[in-house]
Amino acid sequence: MCLAVPMRVDSVTGYVARCSAKGVERDVNLFLIQDEPVAIGDHVLVHVGYAIQKVTAEDAGTTWALLDEVFAGAPGALGAE
Amino acid sequence: MSDPGSAPAGAGAASAARQWLMRIRRLPLSRPVRIMNVCGGHERSIAQGGLRSLMPDGVELIPGPGCPVCVCPEEDVYAAIRIALDHDVTLVTFGDMLRVPANVAKGEIRTLEAAKAAGADVRPIASPLEAVAIADADPARTVVFFAVGFETTMAPVAAMMRERLPDNLLLLLSGRRTWPAVAMLLASGRPGFDALVAPGHVSTVMGPLEWAFVVRDHAMPCAVAGFSADSLLAAIYSTLRQIAENRPVLDNCYAGAVRNEGNPTAQRHLAAAMSIVDAPWRGIGVIPCSGYKLRPEYAAHDARPVFAEEVEAGRRRVGEMPPGCACAEVVLGRIYPTGCPLYGTACLPRQPVGPCMVSDEGACRIWWSAGARRDRERDRRLEPACK
Repeated sequence: MCLAVPMRVDSVTGYVARCSAKGVERDVNLFLIQDEPVAIGDHVLVHVGYAIQKVTAEDAGTTWALLDEVFAGAPGALGAE
Repeated sequence: MSDPGSAPAGAGAASAARQWLMRIRRLPLSRPVRIMNVCGGHERSIAQGGLRSLMPDGVELIPGPGCPVCVCPEEDVYAAIRIALDHDVTLVTFGDMLRVPANVAKGEIRTLEAAKAAGADVRPIASPLEAVAIADADPARTVVFFAVGFETTMAPVAAMMRERLPDNLLLLLSGRRTWPAVAMLLASGRPGFDALVAPGHVSTVMGPLEWAFVVRDHAMPCAVAGFSADSLLAAIYSTLRQIAENRPVLDNCYAGAVRNEGNPTAQRHLAAAMSIVDAPWRGIGVIPCSGYKLRPEYAAHDARPVFAEEVEAGRRRVGEMPPGCACAEVVLGRIYPTGCPLYGTACLPRQPVGPCMVSDEGACRIWWSAGARRDRERDRRLEPACK
């Protein structure tokens, strides 16, 4: 339940950002990162509808790759050894 | 904080993981080491990535208290079921909570899911914002948000409270903090582990320094990890190297999301909405300073006094667990999931006896999904030193 997913910010209106990740779009609440500037193209870690931290695009990419594996139930990141 | 080594630049995730694994295998370890994690997300990556089987002999990875659903006390689950059944309200909660069983007499309604089937208005939600939307849709109707979670989830709940809390939205708050459970294990004198992999997203919110006590007070190695195999292996390597060199430090192997100060805005909202109290953990008992309580300013939104009868009925059930259920032992890392006599026999994901087989964050559910079946040799290894 503590897992957060990185998403890209596509637009910002007040405390709500329209975000996307791998073709999925969501409204994300920015209240918990209200003291930081959030711009289009930024990446945020999203947990239960709220952004809990800004992350770099590189870190976002790494996490997406991981989530693909976890939710596909694919064999481990290291393959068979 | 130190960085005992970094992954080779430009390497893909899998080859970075391989590099960490090689470094781990080259470490001179003179005694068996048990490394505990306290996050369901970590355990899922470990189990599904098969990391456990890749460890050198003598290195054990132990799932600990990493599932907020699993530690939500029986009495709160029971109170939520009774509130939903006995009052004309809408009860909303994170999806995992619907199937957590209370220990009631045969024939009685034992889950929120069963209460829903019996006609109660129980709705799973994925965000506190859905609770607000449901309350807004019918302002004349009371909506009770049974809010369960660790710090990562309680921060959004606090944000919801601070931004706009509809008059008809009440909270049955059952939030918990992770570090006091680890502190309790360490203070017990038989923690059952030699190093700690600290949770990634809890640390994103609260900052890694919450875990400094592990190193400072107990001279135990500790590293914050992310959720990829290479981040977890980096943290495992870090703690093992600290043991090999007898030089415990607090390491941060998830620097991309975990800043030294955490998220101060989230911490400010949490502190403004909730205070810290001693709180019961399912099957474990009261852990000092481990729970969240609504601040007096939000008393009008506290479901506990409004539904005092149901809360009291729940309180009479304190400490009850289904017969044979070893969830508390699993949560504390005293046994592996496969060491529970009910694992895979009476207790399965489709008919769970205890919460660890219900929740996606529960060690039993994670192990079952990853294909783990009973293993006498492995299950015996963990038990003797911990019992």
